[in-house]
Amino acid sequence: MRNIFLIARREYLERVRSKSFLIMTFLIPFLMAAVTLGPGALTVMLSKPSAKHFVVVTSRAAVGEAIRDQLSKSQTEQSKNATAAKKNSLMRSEPVPPSTAVTDIDTNTSEKERAALTAKVSKKEIDGVIWATDDAIARNKLDYITRDVSSFIQTSILQEGISEALHREALKAKGLNQQEVDSIFEHVTLEAIDPVMGGPGAPDPQVRVIASFVMVMILYMSLLLYGINVMRSVLEEKTSRIMEVMLSVAQPKEMMAGKILGVGAVGLTQFAIWITATSIIMGAQLFAVRVQLKGILTPGLLVSFAVFFLLGYTLYSTLYAAIGAMVNSEQEAQQTQFLVLMPIIAAIAMAFPVLTNSDTPIAFWGSMIPFTAPIVMFIRMAMKPPPAWQLALSVALMLATIYGLVLLCGRIYRVGILMYGKKPTLPEILKWLKYS
Amino acid sequence: MNIIELNRVRKTYDHFVAVDDLSFSIPEGSVFGLLGPNGAGKTSSIRMMMGITIPDSGTIQVFGRPFERKALHRTGYLPEERGLYKKMKVLELLIFFGELHGLTAADSRQRAVTWAERLEIGDWLPKKVEELSKGMQQKIQFIATLLHDPEFVIMDEPFSGLDPVNATLLKDVMLDLKKQGRTILFSTHRMDQVEKLCDAICLINHGKAVLNGNLKEIKSRYGKNNIQIQYEGDGAFLQQNALVGTYNNYGNYVEVRLAPGADSQQLLRMVTERSRVNKFEVVEPSLEEIFIEVVGKANA
Repeated sequence: MRNIFLIARREYLERVRSKSFLIMTFLIPFLMAAVTLGPGALTVMLSKPSAKHFVVVTSRAAVGEAIRDQLSKSQTEQSKNATAAKKNSLMRSEPVPPSTAVTDIDTNTSEKERAALTAKVSKKEIDGVIWATDDAIARNKLDYITRDVSSFIQTSILQEGISEALHREALKAKGLNQQEVDSIFEHVTLEAIDPVMGGPGAPDPQVRVIASFVMVMILYMSLLLYGINVMRSVLEEKTSRIMEVMLSVAQPKEMMAGKILGVGAVGLTQFAIWITATSIIMGAQLFAVRVQLKGILTPGLLVSFAVFFLLGYTLYSTLYAAIGAMVNSEQEAQQTQFLVLMPIIAAIAMAFPVLTNSDTPIAFWGSMIPFTAPIVMFIRMAMKPPPAWQLALSVALMLATIYGLVLLCGRIYRVGILMYGKKPTLPEILKWLKYS
Repeated sequence: MNIIELNRVRKTYDHFVAVDDLSFSIPEGSVFGLLGPNGAGKTSSIRMMMGITIPDSGTIQVFGRPFERKALHRTGYLPEERGLYKKMKVLELLIFFGELHGLTAADSRQRAVTWAERLEIGDWLPKKVEELSKGMQQKIQFIATLLHDPEFVIMDEPFSGLDPVNATLLKDVMLDLKKQGRTILFSTHRMDQVEKLCDAICLINHGKAVLNGNLKEIKSRYGKNNIQIQYEGDGAFLQQNALVGTYNNYGNYVEVRLAPGADSQQLLRMVTERSRVNKFEVVEPSLEEIFIEVVGKANA
């Protein structure tokens, strides 16, 4: 035990004192923020006010006017939404200036006019032509001539607007007045109420997804990073022959345990720094974040984050330690580590479906299979705590797997660290398991 | 008492026999040379003495009893290649090794400082290992081996990478250890060092002992029939000569072994007839010669 402690302490101090620890401690949250919030913020930032110029071709001027009114209204709504999206992206910002849409009405529905307008679109004189002739409306299918065919969001906004305009026009034709039509088109909002978590006043589900996603990404990166750290450091000791000296005082299992504990403690230290920093930020009301994260970043969730990190880290770092002991160089290590990478990647691939719905079979099985459980079970804990028996079973399965892996990888480690030369084949590794 | 006793030890890896029926013992207080060409099984034997691997058959006694882990606290191991944590500060590293060997941190620190001063490397204790030259690192490794004051010291090529001044420094430490009654196992290819330092040797080849015992006895077994000759003139006649068994030209002098039954005086007369002789001396065979002969014969 003393040896394990000494080895773990050495490993811990060497890492915590290194520059890379300092850099990673600051860089990872920054990267996480950039990855999760960046794309959204970027789209909002890049959505500059733009003036679009459309031409509606229709034989009835009333239809054209209805479409024009509706389009300018939906442009205003769109910019409102963009501002709302910015708020949700946990950033304070200025509202986006509304885009404007200029809509001309053209009552000439001849094929010749269509050709002329199409030419104007390709010459970039106008942005789009909406072909709303009577028979097209009757077929419920309008042609939209644009250079920007791939911009499906733009198209669907137009589509919504035009549909609404046509419906309004049809209702007016039936004799309803403006007020009556408006009340028909009043939007209805749905408020989701979970039987366990409650309804209004509960944390914004969207913020919950984003916050959970950030934590899952941190978990994923930490598992990967610290696992690879263990592998590297075993390999380094092997190639630098420190192993020989260490073996003259300590047993291989003590060395492996010490290393895994030491590196794991570094990970926990890093989380402790992050959590402290977060609570200071939240306590100091520095950001609008504070209100939105209330009820999401609970102490319970932070504890389960640490627990699932420890479980996942122990599981994966044991495998990584065995790989480090098996191979002789970084290149060989790179080639071999995909075996360990695959389950982690599988887990992160499950993350998205589970984040959106944590009551599916994927969520259940993902949180039971020990190799994906650290990530998938954590997501479930963050989104909607599973029944206690599932949590207990998942943790028990992980612990059992860790126990088995420690025995197995301990044997590979013990033989591997003394083997130099070529990369071992699978049958050779199986033979190692039998060595005394 | 014997510090180490190997009795018919065998170790195989798959189909490769690393150590084959090896027996030798190291008496307390002696300097023992474990010799052999590369891949002869020296490292495999040392690993079994330290309990890193377990023999397939045969027994190993350490300090008079079957191997126990606590015996390691009485043993120091200096590996052939330097095994130090490069990012650590020298003093911290030495304290770490001392603690692993059961010392307290304070005790380790004090011993490390004393040793570093003795080996003239005290100024480097606060530096990182990676800043040190190879020779200095070797000295640090040396200190790490001896910090816990082991009774039995295993040294694998301790002088490699050292200049003559530092090599002498370490040799003096080794002689000191010997004076204090420590037992040293010395594994090397450098036969001149073995001749200077060792009391007994075991020469192994292909995992088997081919020569084993007291160094003086072994040399006398090969008899005093080697002759070193220094001469002026053409010595080519010595190579094809009925009186000469083996011939080695070292540049400054020639060493020959007499053919069986040949008389040294007869050779002296022949040499004086053909060249001007500056030196003609009957000597014991050098260990190197014995090594080459024994190993060469076995590998032929």
